[in-house]
Amino acid sequence: MWQRVTIAFLVGCLSVLAMGFPAAPAQAAGCTLTAIVWEGYTDPSFTQTFEEQTGCTVKATYAGSSDEMFAKFRAGGGRNYDVISASGDITERLYKAGLVRPIDTAKLNNYSAVFSPFQNGPWNTFDGQPYGVTFAWGPNVLVYNAQAVSPAPTSWDVLFDSDYAGQITLPDNPMTIADVALWLGKSDPYDLTSADLAAVKAKLLELRPNIRKFWATAGELANLFQSGEVAIAHAWPLTYQQLAEAEFPVGSASPAGKLTGWTDSWMIAQRSPNVEAAYQWIDYILSGAGQKGVMETTGYSGATELGVEAIGPERAKELFMDDLSLHAQINMWQSVKNYDEWVQLWNEIRS
Amino acid sequence: MTPSSLSTPRRRPATPLGLYATLLPPLAWMTLIYFIPIALLAIYSVWRLESFEIVQEFTLQNFQAIASSTAYRKVLLRTVAIALGVTAVDAAIALPLAYFITRYGGRYRQLLTLLVILPLWSSYLVRVFAWKIILGYNGVINSALVSLGVLAEPSQAFLYNSFSVGLTFVHVWLPFMILPVITAFERLPHNLLEASADLNAPPWTTFRRIMLPLVTPGVLAGSINVFALTMGDFITPSLVGGPSDIMVGNVIASQFGVSYNWPLGAAFALVVMAIVFSGLAIVLRRGALESL
Repeated sequence: MWQRVTIAFLVGCLSVLAMGFPAAPAQAAGCTLTAIVWEGYTDPSFTQTFEEQTGCTVKATYAGSSDEMFAKFRAGGGRNYDVISASGDITERLYKAGLVRPIDTAKLNNYSAVFSPFQNGPWNTFDGQPYGVTFAWGPNVLVYNAQAVSPAPTSWDVLFDSDYAGQITLPDNPMTIADVALWLGKSDPYDLTSADLAAVKAKLLELRPNIRKFWATAGELANLFQSGEVAIAHAWPLTYQQLAEAEFPVGSASPAGKLTGWTDSWMIAQRSPNVEAAYQWIDYILSGAGQKGVMETTGYSGATELGVEAIGPERAKELFMDDLSLHAQINMWQSVKNYDEWVQLWNEIRS
Repeated sequence: MTPSSLSTPRRRPATPLGLYATLLPPLAWMTLIYFIPIALLAIYSVWRLESFEIVQEFTLQNFQAIASSTAYRKVLLRTVAIALGVTAVDAAIALPLAYFITRYGGRYRQLLTLLVILPLWSSYLVRVFAWKIILGYNGVINSALVSLGVLAEPSQAFLYNSFSVGLTFVHVWLPFMILPVITAFERLPHNLLEASADLNAPPWTTFRRIMLPLVTPGVLAGSINVFALTMGDFITPSLVGGPSDIMVGNVIASQFGVSYNWPLGAAFALVVMAIVFSGLAIVLRRGALESL
């Protein structure tokens, strides 16, 4: 009988051990750079070169919104990811939460090639120290099915057009409120009073019957276009790039003066176990090959002189990398003081 | 049992020790993956989030927020309504189907039961995605209706609304309802039905007075399966639901994964658990567990 008790006990211990084990060695692996990024920033087309050069593998998670990125980066005490491609609306949040470390620019061979207005940009410099390295930027644009939508739209008003009712999709992201504020003519879309937010809510409720779906990932959005579910989207240039590559009849418009956008920086986790690999990765993305890869995959604009060289002056002009004139016109995502009110509003729109 | 324990009854008190030892592994397992997480959930639910920081002080403000916000109340009510509706429809489908399989299945009974379980062998996600292909703008139904001339152009009425959410739930959870109902029908003594017929009861009366009371525990067991599965789901509404069809599962997922508001998400999860457990308590009192 005692033998049975012992066996039962041993089996019990083993089953408990079996549960504990698989979780532990995952972090011990040689050189694996974990990243949480916007879709396209770790595309295999250029990430592979980095992996071959350094012997480090890049394991990336895509996020659908800045909030998701922050929540996932933060979960587990900020140990889950080495680097994050943070947009301007969460860079300060990450810094204040103590989740990212200051950047030692001397460790980056290509740092001097970063456009000078982007070095020490206010969106990633805190307390006089750089906490991030700017590497890409762009506007949120109108993307449409060129066959279904004519004439070609030039303004956001087309979203409210009854001809396209039920064929509209917006990002499932509270930052979309800033766009609505711009449509309503607010001068600073990131500084909205409660009255402004009420006006935004009314406008969004007016638009809601036209909305078929809120999209959460770029992959989902491309699928919505390809299956004919939607004809017009508020989207990233990435979707235009993806659909054009798939030979889908896609069009894109950037209504002047009514644009929001983002400036993205690589930031390194305070508790990153692979700091050296993280610097190597950032340096690679600043280089010609890295910049060219990001720009070709996503259609976003780059941030370094090496990038301009790699894609040639003509393409650089198209992406406004020669004089950065578009960068100044875009209302870049930035920290919002009453952000919980924004989230609350967004939840009400969604339910 | 060893021969010695059979021959000497005095040694019987040793059995409970062996019994407890065998219970230890499942108990450790349950503690680790079930009781501890629930305790953590309860602890988080009484903390709060302040400027992206979780403040570890006792407060009930998360529960107050859920109770006072009309948006949250609407989502909770919608979720309960959808869950009850899906349960009712599944029960209405399962009753005749299970009756047919057990009564007229004959030598195909095993095969028919297998066919009921078959969808469970494919991934849940695949089954939900299949509905996107069936109901979509260029999907199977629209293509068929357009080529038959019923519709002039594809309709958007099938996908991305509460109808598609309800339909998908009814389909993916149906096996969980049918199985306990089949078991209940298998246990139904035939002689009772014959006696009822001998006493000149019309079929409807036999169904109402003999069959239904005897299979009710099976239906209730299936109901709690379907109800609980629907209450907690967030994949289906986000894949086939429209702009305003989010359910409480979506709210919980976004509190954890997007807003970093773990306390509010934990409070929401406890509210859902309370709803499911009260449903469970109701059906347990009517003997549902015997048919599981």
